[in-house]
Amino acid sequence: MTALAIPPWGNYSIALAASVECLRVTPWSTRCTTPEIMKLGTDASPEFSCLAFKATTGYFIKAAMEGVEYGVMVNSVGTCRLRYYRELQQKILRDRGFNLFIFGLGYDGIKPPLIRHFDPTMGDFLRCCGRAFFKVHAVDAIEKLAWETRARELHTGDTTRLMNTCLKDLDEARTVPAIRALSRTIPARFHTVPTDAAARPLKIGLLGEASILRDSYLNHNLEETLGSLGVEVQNFFLLGNELAKIFHIGFRSPDSRDSLNRLARPYLKSRVGGHALESVAYTLRCAQEHYDGVIHIAPTGCMPEITIRPILRKISQDHSIPILELSFDEHSSHVGIVTRLEAFTDILRERRKQASS
Amino acid sequence: MTTQAYLGIDVGSISTNLVLIDSGSTVLFTAYRRVDGNPIHSVQKALLEMRQTVPGTLEIAGVGTTGSARTLIGAVVGADIVKNEISAHARAALHLHPEANTIFEIGGQDSKVTILRNGVVVDFAMNLICAAGTGSFLDSQAKRLSLSIEELGERALLSSDPTTIAGRCTVFAESDMIHKQQAGHQQHDIVMGLCQAMVRNFLSNVCAGKEIRPPIVLQGGVSANRGIRRAFNEALQTEVIIPQHNMVMGAYGAALLAARANPIRTRFRGYSLCDREIATRGFRCNDCPNQCEVIEILDHDESLGRSGGRCRKWEQGVQAGGSR
Repeated sequence: MTALAIPPWGNYSIALAASVECLRVTPWSTRCTTPEIMKLGTDASPEFSCLAFKATTGYFIKAAMEGVEYGVMVNSVGTCRLRYYRELQQKILRDRGFNLFIFGLGYDGIKPPLIRHFDPTMGDFLRCCGRAFFKVHAVDAIEKLAWETRARELHTGDTTRLMNTCLKDLDEARTVPAIRALSRTIPARFHTVPTDAAARPLKIGLLGEASILRDSYLNHNLEETLGSLGVEVQNFFLLGNELAKIFHIGFRSPDSRDSLNRLARPYLKSRVGGHALESVAYTLRCAQEHYDGVIHIAPTGCMPEITIRPILRKISQDHSIPILELSFDEHSSHVGIVTRLEAFTDILRERRKQASS
Repeated sequence: MTTQAYLGIDVGSISTNLVLIDSGSTVLFTAYRRVDGNPIHSVQKALLEMRQTVPGTLEIAGVGTTGSARTLIGAVVGADIVKNEISAHARAALHLHPEANTIFEIGGQDSKVTILRNGVVVDFAMNLICAAGTGSFLDSQAKRLSLSIEELGERALLSSDPTTIAGRCTVFAESDMIHKQQAGHQQHDIVMGLCQAMVRNFLSNVCAGKEIRPPIVLQGGVSANRGIRRAFNEALQTEVIIPQHNMVMGAYGAALLAARANPIRTRFRGYSLCDREIATRGFRCNDCPNQCEVIEILDHDESLGRSGGRCRKWEQGVQAGGSR
């Protein structure tokens, strides 16, 4: 069977892999970038391109080296430099003598090229979409429970272990009924983790650029590091919400495009690319919902997210909510990031103490 | 009659600092020595020096470590508290100058600004990708001019008309300094120009977007440099405060934090650790694609702890940064 390379996108890779089965291809996918992929990507990319570009380029090169013939990459309009990434990566691959063809996954007529090429039957296609949809929601549910539980766990590592088992089960679930049955058992499974019921962990919102937020290699395992510092995180990039936004499902929900536009309006009236408007809106939501702090994540040189950093500073002042800005590139030092996270959580704890006294 | 004392150890890129305080926060002993590429050795030597200096009736009741080698050294000496250097420096500065609104801390590799309001840390920033504005650069320039780092500071004070040096990048700053020297500028003017360039770079990069309000405390190794102090005073139009233990504030902060934590029984492994052969061993964890390099710290056959993984799986015997 032909293979199709899908760039890593955290735990959503499980759902993405399931979604291409109807095309009768073998998904070539992993959950996060590896040092080897990063090195291949860095060597092949222009120095000033962003971390996401380098990581995905490396991924396609690695796939091509393993003999994979096809790949798929987002290239939708209205985002950022990302919209040219597919073209550029295709050229880089061609220059290096690789025969991997990358399908663009953006709006391109009613039938995207990927579907046109593999031409699945309507029945298969719908079944796979269903599976992928429920898997995305299952991943979101698992992650939310993990963020909540990890900050309260009594034995470090319990939550991560359980999360990995759940994800493995989810990966193996083949049918929609099986996925839904599995989803129903997940809350109970997380309740078995011994936790400190009296703990009042800090609550921090994670927002910014989606691929860094979701790739635990690129973000230096941010969620787990914060969890072990006793912080409950809320990662504001949820693919379930994102899909609902793209296909205009649930337009009244607080995460719909309209609601977010309204929320961000006092500070930002137009989309500036990527998920920058979402970052502004969610920072405001964190302030409204009394989060202890916000961590804003961007690849070094990310145009949309850097554009809004001054806005975030203004929100931080106006609403008195601390914001830590972290930029990631392939040179980021792990020790430096941990030091900043520790210092930031110290600040938030001290603030809490002051507020309660 | 034994007296209880608390030890703070700060192992950074350039120096290993020790501060011993009593339960009343009075400083009993300080040490500042170069790391010289071997953090464990330098701590052993500093501890030996301390044992010879302080009276034997002192009982170490708590140990705190900080600095970039805090986890490693925390495992080696048996620390009760392992704290990041930003919080440790702030603790010490606030203890000596509770009125401070800003802390500038410039060390060997890192430079940081910490914003305080009403005696609480509210914000901080750290240099990211650039070393311009740190001690290492001053160090290398002093060497190039065949001056000791102390002389470099003194020499800068002689300047009445500092030369402008391009300070955005250390490599280009060096080219510019050489250019000025070949053009015949006086050495003390160039050196003072260098101090100004460093300060300018610190204020415009590290402090970007922060509201710098006096009183300002300047600490870390570079605060001993009188040229830098002068450059700060001139650039900010205010007198920066140099705290009493400016060179060892990180260690002082770690000692204060250890005293505040006041452990029931310290994990300190005793002076005997100075005579022991402590080694580290690295291995690659292949359990996930991250393939982290994990470091295990060994005292002969006994494992003192492990660190270095991106997940916390291997971190054993080494305490995480904060209290939960």
